[in-house]
Amino acid sequence: MSFRGFVPLLCLSLVAACAARPFYPLPSKIVNQNRQPLQTSRPYNIAHRGSNGEIPEETAAAYMRAIEEGADFIETDILSSKDGVLICFHDVTLDETTDVADHKVFANRKRTYEVQGVNTTGLFIVDFTLEELKKLRVKQRYKFRDQQYNGKFQIITFEEFISIALDAPRVVGIYPEIKNPVLINQHVKWPNGKRFEDKFVETLKKYGYKGSYMSKDWLEKPVFIQSFAPTSLVYISNLTDSPRIFLIDDVTIPTQDTNQSYWEITSDKYLDFIKEYVVGIGPWKDTVVPVKDNYLQVPTDLVARAHAWDLQVHPYTYRDENSFLHFDFHQDPYQEYDYWLNKIGVDGLFTDFTGSLHNFQEWTSPLPK
Amino acid sequence: MNWIGIILPFIAVSLIGGCVGRPLLHSSPGPAEVADTHIRKPLQTIRPYNIAHRGSNGELPEETIAAYKRAVEEGADFIESDILASKDGVLICLHDLTLDNTTDVANHKQFANRKRSYQVQGLNITGWFVVDFTWEELKLLRVKQRFGFRDQQYNGKFSLITFEEFISVALHAKRVVGIYPEIKNPVFINQHVKWSDGKKFEDKFMETLKKYGYKGSYMSKEWLKQPIFIQSFAPTSLTYIANFTDLPKVLLIADPTTRTEDTNQSFFEITSNSYFNFIKKYVVGIGPWKDTILPSIDNHLSETGATDLVARAHAHGLQVHPYTFRNEYLFLNFNFNQDPYEEYDLWINKIKVDGLFTDFAGSLHNFQEWSSDKGN
Repeated sequence: MSFRGFVPLLCLSLVAACAARPFYPLPSKIVNQNRQPLQTSRPYNIAHRGSNGEIPEETAAAYMRAIEEGADFIETDILSSKDGVLICFHDVTLDETTDVADHKVFANRKRTYEVQGVNTTGLFIVDFTLEELKKLRVKQRYKFRDQQYNGKFQIITFEEFISIALDAPRVVGIYPEIKNPVLINQHVKWPNGKRFEDKFVETLKKYGYKGSYMSKDWLEKPVFIQSFAPTSLVYISNLTDSPRIFLIDDVTIPTQDTNQSYWEITSDKYLDFIKEYVVGIGPWKDTVVPVKDNYLQVPTDLVARAHAWDLQVHPYTYRDENSFLHFDFHQDPYQEYDYWLNKIGVDGLFTDFTGSLHNFQEWTSPLPK
Repeated sequence: MNWIGIILPFIAVSLIGGCVGRPLLHSSPGPAEVADTHIRKPLQTIRPYNIAHRGSNGELPEETIAAYKRAVEEGADFIESDILASKDGVLICLHDLTLDNTTDVANHKQFANRKRSYQVQGLNITGWFVVDFTWEELKLLRVKQRFGFRDQQYNGKFSLITFEEFISVALHAKRVVGIYPEIKNPVFINQHVKWSDGKKFEDKFMETLKKYGYKGSYMSKEWLKQPIFIQSFAPTSLTYIANFTDLPKVLLIADPTTRTEDTNQSFFEITSNSYFNFIKKYVVGIGPWKDTILPSIDNHLSETGATDLVARAHAHGLQVHPYTFRNEYLFLNFNFNQDPYEEYDLWINKIKVDGLFTDFAGSLHNFQEWSSDKGN
C-alpha cells in the first residue's frame, strides 16, 4: 500500500482524462474485455457518495477517487432537476453542499416546502434546471474535512455517474438511490405520464444494467437499487430484476410513502413480505447496535433475523473521524470495521472512507489470488 | 536495526534461558515479585518501536497503571513516562509540572491555597505545582483524561503512580516490555526539590533504575532482558548520566521556537551536523516533534517536502523516534484522509523512522501486524 500523495496531481490527471473522451451525455463506448471482476467473497466496500471524506461528495472526482481506492460499489443519491434530468445529489436543498448562495441570480429562488412532514426552507433542487445546476460548484459538506476542492467541481448527472463506473479499469458496481421519490413526483412531471421511478429504471436499462443478483449479466454490470420508500421498490420490481435494497431510517422516522414505523418495517412479518422484492436491507447502524453515552449497547437481533429471511445487511454510514466513533473503538476506524465485519457479520458497508475500509479488508481478509 | 535484526532473534532466544532464576525484586510502596519462571517473549527489534506515549492514554487517563497495562496488552514495545519529583523527593510519573489539567486537585479544598506562579523555561506559569505537594498528598488526588474528546468514564478512578510502580508494570508483563522514562524538566525540579544526600534529580533517577537492575548498552544481553531508553530535552542531563551508565539515551527536540532549558541552545543549533557529531557520543537517537520533520501549511503537508533531519540523524548513526501520533482527525494532516493508519504508513515506510511515540499503541500495533505481510 503506498502513500497517497498529493491530490493536485490527481486533479490534473482527472482534467486530462475528462478532456480526452466524451463525458456527458453519451453512454460509455469503452469495451473492456478482461477487466478484474467484482469481488464477491467478502463484504462489499460501498463508497458512500464517493470518497467524500477527501473530496466533495457525489462529484466525478470523488467517485474516481473511490474507484482508485478499491471500492466495490460507488454509491449515489438520485434526485431530479426542474426539467426532469436525473442528477446525483443527496440533499433536496442546495445550501449545504454548493455555492448557490454566492449566485445572486438565484437569490429569489428560496422556498419552503414540506419534506417528510417537516417544513424545510432553502434553495430546492427541483426549482433549478440542469443548465442552472451546472453553473453551481460543489463544496465539502463537513468543515473538518479538506476544503481545498471547494468551488472546483460540478454536480453530475445519473448518466455521468454511470459512465464513471463503466469506464473504470476494473468492474465497479453502482449503488444508486431512488431518493425522496414522494417529493420528486410531487414537484417534477415527465411527459407520457412517466414517474421518477420509470425514468430511473429507463436510465439503467439504457446502459445495459440487467439481471438478478449474481447472474452473469449482473456480474458484468453490478448494481443495487436502494430506497427508503418501499412502494418505489415494489413498483420497479415489475420493471427490472436488478437487485434492490430497502433502506431503513432511524427508529423515530416513518416511511415517507406508507407512513410505517421502524418497528413495523423491521418486524418478522414485514421482512417476510419485503423479501419478495428486495435482496437486503440498509439500516442506520445505530439502530442495529444501539448506543448510549457514546458506548455500544447490546446488539439487536436485526441482523440475525434479516439473515434468517435471506436478506443481506448493508448498514450506513462509516466515517473515520473520532467524532463519529463510539468509545468502544478507541478513536480507531479500523476497530469499528473489525467489529461490524467480524463480530456483527454484515454483508456490506456504506463508508465515506473507501480507502480505509479497503486497507482493513486487504490486510485482514485479502482476496484469494 | 539492519543485520542486527536478523541475528538478534537467535541471540534473544538463548538469552531467555538466562532469565530463569532471576532475583525477586522489591519496590516500595507496593510489592513487585517478578516470578519469571516461564519464558517471556522477547522484545521485537526488527521493526520500528511501538512506544506507548504516556500509556494508552487515548483510552485511559495518562500515566496511570491502567493506561500502562492496557498498552502492554495492546502490544506496545515500550511504555513511556515523564518523571518528575514530589516536594519530598519521590520520583513520580506525571507529564505537566502542574496538576490542573490531569487531576482533580481543584476539587480538594485543603489544597485551595496551594496555587503558585513560577517561571518555567522563561514563561510565567500559574497552577498547583507538583513540587509543592508531598507524595502522601499527591496520593489523595485522582487522575482524569486530559482531552475532552476522549473517553471520560475513568475520571476520578485512578491515582498518580511512582517511577517504581511504573517500572513494576513493565517487569510484571508476560512478555519483555521496555520502559522509556523521561528526565523531565530537570532544571525546574533541581531548583525546587532538594534531596537530603546532596544528590540531584538525575542521580535519584539513575538510582531507581539501578535498583531494578537496568543496565547494559543498547542491544546488549542485559539491555534486551530489560530494555530501556532514557529521554530528555536537557542535553546536560544526558551527558551527566553518561558518566555512570551506558544505558541508551535519546535527546528530545522540541519545536523550532524553543531553546533547550539547560544550555539555551536553539533548535537549529542542536539539529546541526556538528551538534550531531558531538551528541552522538552520548545518545543513540533523537526524539523530535514530528512537524519539524514534515512541516505543513493549512493542514496539508508542505509540498517542498520533508526536511533532511532524519537522513542526517541516520547518517550520524542516530535513531529517530518522533512524537506524537494520535488517531483523532484534528491531529491528522489532510493528506492522511482522516486515517491514522495512513500516517503510520508514511512515517514507517517512507520516512523510515525507528520508533514512534503514540497515544494509541493498539492502532499502531494493528498497523504493524496487519501490514507486515505485504512487504514494502
